[in-house]
Amino acid sequence: MPQDAVSQGTVPQDAVPSIPVSRDEGCPGPGPDAPLGLLGQVLRECAADRRSGTLRVLGEPGGTVHIADGGVTSIETPGAPGPEVVLVRSGRVAESAWAAAFTAAAADGRMAAELVRRELVGHGELEALLRTVLADAMFTLASGEVDQCRMEPPAAACLLPLEPPAEPGWLLAETSRRHQVLASLPSPVGHDRDRVTRGPAAIAPLDGRQDEILALANGRRTARDMAFVLGCGVYALTLEFARMRESGLLAVGSRRQAGNSTPGRPDPRAGRPVSDSPVPDSSGPDGSGPDGSGPDGHDPADSTTGPGAAPALPRRRKANPGQPRSGPTAVAQGGASALLRLLRPGPVADHNAGQ
Amino acid sequence: MADDAVLAEMRALRDRVVGITDTALASRDGLIIRADTADVDADNLAALAAASHGVAQRMAAEVGIGVLHDGVTRGSSGYVATYAVGRSALLVLVGDAGLDTARLYRESRATIESLEKLLTAGAAGPARRQLGARARRSRALARTGGGRRAPRAAIEVIG
Repeated sequence: MPQDAVSQGTVPQDAVPSIPVSRDEGCPGPGPDAPLGLLGQVLRECAADRRSGTLRVLGEPGGTVHIADGGVTSIETPGAPGPEVVLVRSGRVAESAWAAAFTAAAADGRMAAELVRRELVGHGELEALLRTVLADAMFTLASGEVDQCRMEPPAAACLLPLEPPAEPGWLLAETSRRHQVLASLPSPVGHDRDRVTRGPAAIAPLDGRQDEILALANGRRTARDMAFVLGCGVYALTLEFARMRESGLLAVGSRRQAGNSTPGRPDPRAGRPVSDSPVPDSSGPDGSGPDGSGPDGHDPADSTTGPGAAPALPRRRKANPGQPRSGPTAVAQGGASALLRLLRPGPVADHNAGQ
Repeated sequence: MADDAVLAEMRALRDRVVGITDTALASRDGLIIRADTADVDADNLAALAAASHGVAQRMAAEVGIGVLHDGVTRGSSGYVATYAVGRSALLVLVGDAGLDTARLYRESRATIESLEKLLTAGAAGPARRQLGARARRSRALARTGGGRRAPRAAIEVIG
């Protein structure tokens, strides 16, 4: 492997050193030992060297990873909604309240403290949300195409950094675990490729969460697209899509073509069968592999509902600008955990080896 | 056939750039030529796009920031961007909060060039005839309304 400025441990202020360019088409379904390609390699190097900086990931969807002392504080990517979209679009925080907090605090880098001070979200809830959003962003970033990774000096502070930063090892292991889960599904749905529509079984009124999904399933939206509308996690929604597809509630209407600027460039994932014929449940691996537990031993990707419980995707509450959200003390226990469940998959198809 | 080509270009752009939710091709005077939209009213979108792009061009000229690249309207949950397609049409793109606007600008160049060729070439068929009819109406308006006032016609109608 050729030496580069990053490996040498210093990042000149005016240079844009590039980690060796290689075409990495992501690992949508790797085995348990897959290193998640170029992105995984770069993040592990940053962790080992305790680097700080801004990692530009060029590709599809690509994005920006903010790194502090080797840990990840924030990821911005077109592939997954960030904390603002999740909080506001889910209805957890009213848009007007968010705007007021932003006006008061964003310029000083105090957004997290301001949200808590205004009792718009609890401190613990916000930290858990940021961690879950980060895992979702890493999943979409690492699942896509990574053409180049470019380490730059630290940029201006991001709006809501996770403190303390997340260990790249945990993020990468969690992404690998999700890949294994998705690969084991009988009716998989590509989170950024498959545009869903109502399926043949979607004839009777359903409960709130599935109704919400079906109302948005107009044949133009992928799980990623719908996550931005609903303010929820892409991975969690992908699992729900797969369940609904298996039961005939959803169907894949069309597939989005490769997102690259070279016409005719082959989509590495093209050719995968897109079929809505019922597939017998060939019980796949139980998702065992790298330990996906977070630093506190809890897997942030799994719902806290008990085994066998239906996946909890609570009804999205529409943000009403005229009615400010109540603070965390007034939020019922279900409020904070309900928000987190929006971002987490249910236990049905997402088995954690630790449970 | 040619209209399929116009729609195909617009759909291909929506495929290439994640985050685009709706696209439309509109005439400079605010009439819809082709639309690939879901919940957005294409006629209203075309009219507003023409008005806003016109204002953006005049703003760019007024403050001296060079040739207008795009007119972007940014909201809390998405964007609307307008791009000139030749001298007679606009490409309108609607995107969600995750739209990469920098990438959008780069990726849209090829689409705009293709659309311009389709509109100006003989093969554009119905789309080109529509555009021709609208251009003739615009020129007629300009003659009756006075030369300098003509570019404001669409904006005044919308306002």
